[in-house]
Amino acid sequence: MGYRDVAKVGLGGPVGSGKTAMVKCLVPRLVEKGYEVGVIANDIMTQEDADVFRESFADLLPEDLVEGVETGACPHTGIREDPSMNLAAIDEFTERHPELDVVLVESGGDNLAATFNPELADYFLFVISVAEGEDIPRKRGPGVTQADLLVVNKTDLAPHVDADLDVIEADASEVRGEDPFVFTNCKNGDGVDETLDHIEREVLFA
Amino acid sequence: MTTNADAFLAALRLSDSFLPVGGYTASYGLEQYVNEDRIEDGDALQELIAAYLRRVVGPCETVALANAHEASATDDLEALLAVDERLHAVTMPREFRESSTKAGAKLCELLEQTDSRRTAGDPTGNSGGKVAGDGGAGCGEPVDLESTFADAIAADETPGHYPVVFGVVAQARGVSRLEACLAHAHAFVTGLLGAAQRLGRFGHTAIQTVLADLRPTIRTVCERHVDDEPRAMASFAPLAEIMGMRHERAERRLFMS
Repeated sequence: MGYRDVAKVGLGGPVGSGKTAMVKCLVPRLVEKGYEVGVIANDIMTQEDADVFRESFADLLPEDLVEGVETGACPHTGIREDPSMNLAAIDEFTERHPELDVVLVESGGDNLAATFNPELADYFLFVISVAEGEDIPRKRGPGVTQADLLVVNKTDLAPHVDADLDVIEADASEVRGEDPFVFTNCKNGDGVDETLDHIEREVLFA
Repeated sequence: MTTNADAFLAALRLSDSFLPVGGYTASYGLEQYVNEDRIEDGDALQELIAAYLRRVVGPCETVALANAHEASATDDLEALLAVDERLHAVTMPREFRESSTKAGAKLCELLEQTDSRRTAGDPTGNSGGKVAGDGGAGCGEPVDLESTFADAIAADETPGHYPVVFGVVAQARGVSRLEACLAHAHAFVTGLLGAAQRLGRFGHTAIQTVLADLRPTIRTVCERHVDDEPRAMASFAPLAEIMGMRHERAERRLFMS
């Protein structure tokens, strides 16, 4: 039993796009559906995200299924070039919990070029926020174009930051072709079930 | 092969992606291959890099490097400049030339600042050059070939291609000619593999498998071309060159070449 025997879902994206909020939305829904879930938070300097998860999921997950990985300043190196420490953490999860179904691996906030190593993530969500500018999909970073699912989060902020959701939708359709994208608002849960449907269909039922 | 620990460490330094000469920004056309969906898996990546080794790195860059090493060993500036000029002439895509000359200039600048305390007889420094007196940068007239060549590059008197500079600085630090060629070819391969990992979705194990599988090719190519005369220097990689040229006009780019 090791990291190859468990489904792994990566969540990447820029700083402040809502990756942590998405994990906090997904975990209770996955647990409710009967999946045993582990969570890894990659952070550049701290265990802050991991601590937030341990507190948030205190009633949902065993404490030893939440782990923080410090990435040596550059988040993408830990999820792409050398994911060894993440894979080691997943190995420890599977040793302690052989029935583990899925591990959510959250990257530290990064740039639009950050992608997940396919050996670390069977499925990869790239989370962006409308508040970071409506032109992000148009910039075609590898995160936007190569992710299995593009998540456009914080749709509730669009009117406050002059972001046109129709423009974002048209650009996302153009740059991603047939590949899916979803609009979400993790604050009230809009779009989270749709996100979960994609994950279940592409990873957990696959 | 290597018997000198200092030369071995110098070869490691020169072949390490940690060396700050801009290698991180070059894909040598690989980005265009990925953009055009020509590289789908590790096997295709390996095949492409092997072709680069056989048709560009070997018959072109290795020949340049080896002859620059020889020119450095014999203190022959004229031969060195001829090698640099020939490599410039046979490197077709503009972006390949620019990546190479920028990296060459950066390596010269870097070593001038970091290795300027080298003195004749200093075991951690220049074993092949003839550095005068304190040998410090800016302290009197440079008399060793590395400094003379660096000055010529800075004055735009010669292009200063990376393999040529590499050959000179490796020779000056006691790295043998074949080892210098191997170190350069290995660095070229790891640079391209790193670029591939950033461009596409290649696992780290897949990338290391390609590197391991390419080792015999690296060795064969270097051994085959290490003794070639400068006039043998040529490359034949039309598709790679076309990819390099198309990359110049690519709408979205992560890499400079």
